[in-house]
Amino acid sequence: MLAFLIGEAFRNLRRGGRVAVSAVLLITLSLAALGAFWVLSLNIGSAVVQWRDRLRVVLYLREEPPAGEVEGLLRKIEGVGGIQRLRYVSKAEALQTLRRQLGGQAGVVAELPSNPLPPSVEVTPAPEASTPEGTRALIQRLSALAEVEEVQGGTEWVERLAQWQGLLQAIGLALGAVLALAAILTATTATTLVLHARREELEIMRLVGASEMVIRLPLFLQGLAQGLMGAAVALGGLYFVYRLALPTLEPLLSLTLGLSRATFFTPTEIALLLGGGGLLGALGGLAAKGGRPA
Amino acid sequence: MIELQGVSKVYRVGPVKVTALADVSFGVEKGEFTVLAGPSGSGKTTLLRLLYRDELPTEGEIRVAGFGVTGLRRSKIPQLRRAVGVVFQDAKLLPGRNVYDNVAFVLRVLGTPRRDITPRVMQTLKAVGLSARAQALPAQLSQGEQQRAALARALVKEPSLLLADEPTGNLDEGMGEEILDLLREIWSRGTTILLATHRATLANQLKRRTLVLDGGRLLKDEG
Repeated sequence: MLAFLIGEAFRNLRRGGRVAVSAVLLITLSLAALGAFWVLSLNIGSAVVQWRDRLRVVLYLREEPPAGEVEGLLRKIEGVGGIQRLRYVSKAEALQTLRRQLGGQAGVVAELPSNPLPPSVEVTPAPEASTPEGTRALIQRLSALAEVEEVQGGTEWVERLAQWQGLLQAIGLALGAVLALAAILTATTATTLVLHARREELEIMRLVGASEMVIRLPLFLQGLAQGLMGAAVALGGLYFVYRLALPTLEPLLSLTLGLSRATFFTPTEIALLLGGGGLLGALGGLAAKGGRPA
Repeated sequence: MIELQGVSKVYRVGPVKVTALADVSFGVEKGEFTVLAGPSGSGKTTLLRLLYRDELPTEGEIRVAGFGVTGLRRSKIPQLRRAVGVVFQDAKLLPGRNVYDNVAFVLRVLGTPRRDITPRVMQTLKAVGLSARAQALPAQLSQGEQQRAALARALVKEPSLLLADEPTGNLDEGMGEEILDLLREIWSRGTTILLATHRATLANQLKRRTLVLDGGRLLKDEG
């Protein structure tokens, strides 16, 4: 019976002709649009998480404290609140870091008459102070300390990035929803055309006592097959574009967002997109009207 | 097998009421061969459609093959129709499928195990004399053969009741005679038959119980 129903579904697909192909294409388009925005949003999301983790506030000190007073200074800074961790960076350590960063050109450091780098304290804000407002307040408290020359850092740009991520998600969802609706309507039209083409067959099926399930299931399966095909083509297309763009995209992402590699969908996300495609098609198949019920 | 009590069917065409059947009552026993005779428009086809629940009566009670048709739930209609075979004046064969597939289609949609389909289809085609034409498309068959194929399709699910609506209406005398012989043979194997015809001569020729309808009323119940 199942083999017969599946066979009927594929016969229906062949009979659907151009309209069935249009339904598959529209499902492909809607999922490709949704998927493209989703991939972008995933990558920006990774950058946001990474940058939130890396968030530091740096206090540049007016003068280097004597070794015996560093502990006391750190305790004083910690006393302003909203600090998770802090680390003192002496002038010598800062110069050492600069040498390391300069690599082959480290020789220029030796030519400096004296160490121009200020001593500093790297502050990791506590989670509750990691919001834009929390960090702003922390920076204000730290700037008020007498030993502090300048405070650098903040979360505004990370939060702006997060807002961009939200915007991309919203655009992707809106565009995907509009195209998904069009896909459902096209799948419905394709199935309705098949119903009209098969009305003699349906009449005979009802006359001999076929259940409504046997009559409707091939239509549902037809829609499901259209949806799965559309989703598979969309995923294939997205993966092709991703692989094609990867050599250009990765250095760009590294430079702008600090991401070492661009990510694609996880198997769960692929399954979700395939399931979404199947659902769109199946809804179209179920919504089809035609043929006179018993 | 069939029982009608005070059955009426009225169609509304805008403000106009058209009475297709008026207070019809009769019964058909299991194993009977009954002829439903009457001129065109007398209500024969409407009555048959009420029996396989293609239509609901406006009034009255109908029982067919153990099913209370009038109050039958929509989900139970397929069960009624599995017990009833129907053939029409035009064979209504599926043009894209050959004779074998037209008959096998019924068993497939009813979920018959695959291994049982071919033997049952071939046995039924043999019974209607169409074994040799199993691979022919409907367009390649004579009208008599098309009607035989339609009969095979109605019989392959082994119904207890066969409703035949003018099955010889499109056939010449010779072919019509062949179909009647076939119906007699089917009846002799135990199937209850209700044959609707507008040909008075056919009813006389069959020498069976005849219900005469005219203007939607049952005028006679003879034999």
